[in-house]
Amino acid sequence: MKLNKLAIASLLSLSAIYSAQAVELEISITNLTQGNYFTPRLVVAHTADADLFEVGTEASTALAWLAEAGVIQDSQNSASSGMNFEAILGPADTDNGSNTWHFFGGLVAPATTLTYASFDTMDKPYLSIASMLIPTNDAFVGLDSIEIPTEAGTYNYYLNAYDAGTELNDELNSTRTDIQEEGGAALGGYGLPGVAGAGAEPIAPSMGTGGNGVAAKVGLAADGSALAVASEVIDGTDGPVHIHRNTLGDTASDMGASDLDSTVHRWLNPVAKVTIVVPAS
Amino acid sequence: MKNSKFKIITIAFIAAILTACGGDDGDQGPAGVAGPSGPAGPQGPTGPSGDPGPEGPTGGFGAFNVSLTNLTHGQPMAPVAIIVHEPGYNAFVSGEAASLGLENLAEGGSPDLLISEAQDSVAFLDAVASSGITGPGATTNMSTVFIPELDLDNVRISIATMLVDTNDAFAGINAKDISNIAIGESITFILPVWDAGTEANTETANTMPGPAASEAGGGGASAGFNATRDDLANAVRIHAGVVTNMNSTDASMEGLSTSVLNQSDRFDNPGARITITRTR
Repeated sequence: MKLNKLAIASLLSLSAIYSAQAVELEISITNLTQGNYFTPRLVVAHTADADLFEVGTEASTALAWLAEAGVIQDSQNSASSGMNFEAILGPADTDNGSNTWHFFGGLVAPATTLTYASFDTMDKPYLSIASMLIPTNDAFVGLDSIEIPTEAGTYNYYLNAYDAGTELNDELNSTRTDIQEEGGAALGGYGLPGVAGAGAEPIAPSMGTGGNGVAAKVGLAADGSALAVASEVIDGTDGPVHIHRNTLGDTASDMGASDLDSTVHRWLNPVAKVTIVVPAS
Repeated sequence: MKNSKFKIITIAFIAAILTACGGDDGDQGPAGVAGPSGPAGPQGPTGPSGDPGPEGPTGGFGAFNVSLTNLTHGQPMAPVAIIVHEPGYNAFVSGEAASLGLENLAEGGSPDLLISEAQDSVAFLDAVASSGITGPGATTNMSTVFIPELDLDNVRISIATMLVDTNDAFAGINAKDISNIAIGESITFILPVWDAGTEANTETANTMPGPAASEAGGGGASAGFNATRDDLANAVRIHAGVVTNMNSTDASMEGLSTSVLNQSDRFDNPGARITITRTR
């Protein structure tokens, strides 16, 4: 009997230690836009030593990969190896000291909700989430370092759309071959804006073609003078990470300024709702 | 257990021996008749007193004044549905299809069916609709809802009002916690503008009930509610804003040429603010 009691007591103390280390959060993401998809989600629990993005600060190359191409890890696009969030944060689903992260695959369609039953925070105090809005040049939805509640309950957060600032918002369909980047390279920058990273369903078919550009125009330099090659578009950057000014779009599928649809691809903030359920310990 | 069995066996054996000792004496006579019953015992002590009964209704209600301020530049707002309830009722849920009552409110401006749907919920406490149209920048008259004092510790409020120069936009909040507000205390909420997801945002004169459509020869009740659900998705989400007909004929082709709206009808979030004050 004494032996048994001792064994039960040790089991209890083990489980107490276990629950203190591993908080399994249930995380739901609702896409509140009417016409933009969310690429696979980067969900990170971290200490104050990790930060996915910071408004007013230049985006990291890893954020540019996420915001322009929806790429988080090597397996999505090997060209991103060494530059993506996997390279910065360390391996997925591992205690990397300053962080632990998980790749939630698949797309979140407009006005739908995806729920992840459990995300192990490995006792890190903060939570951040990032995902590209497609089709856009470099818009992403972000949850920026919220403190993970310790009291059991359900918590809601409303998220804004940010502009990574790493690409001009030309709103041109990057699968087009009638126009090129400066120097004749195919459109795209990091990966293909408007098209999800490898493994995800391409969204480009919902875009138009024939637009002559919004924040950068086909055949025109930034000062409005004509380019030597009329089919080229000069890309650039547009500042540190900031709240996205929304897309313009147009109502013509084969002409006009934009290859986006102004009746479909616009949004107002907030663009997402995140619900976190902290279980009773 | 083994011990007990052994004892039973032993007792049986002794009984058998006793019977065997009966001998030659005459048969025992029959037992005598039972004696009369004794007198009744004394009355027992008084039992403990019962549990106190449930607390009766106090007859008291908390009263809450609710007003809404229209924060848009040019969108009139229809009568406001103000519903107080316990947890369990939702006027709307983002990412899910709107109820018929919400569709009525968001397309035609009438709060009546949404309120009657709420009244059918077991979580319902009280509801009121503000009267008339609230113009841009204006504040509604005070509406009052009453909540039984017993429910004041766990009460929610849901609000919705149509932006009438749209197809199916409404400003609203769902099930916000207003528990434990002290008398004299106020609480404010800002309302985003939602798309009910029940009607395509064509922005035409014959699909919107408000003055913008009326000026273009449409509008009114017949241009309001339509049972067909033909939006991009049949689900409530944040409204993307009205496209309007601005820049629809220039080279950008940004605008929607069939729209009867213009730049003055545009809005951003938040679309409205409500103030709730407990008066007793």
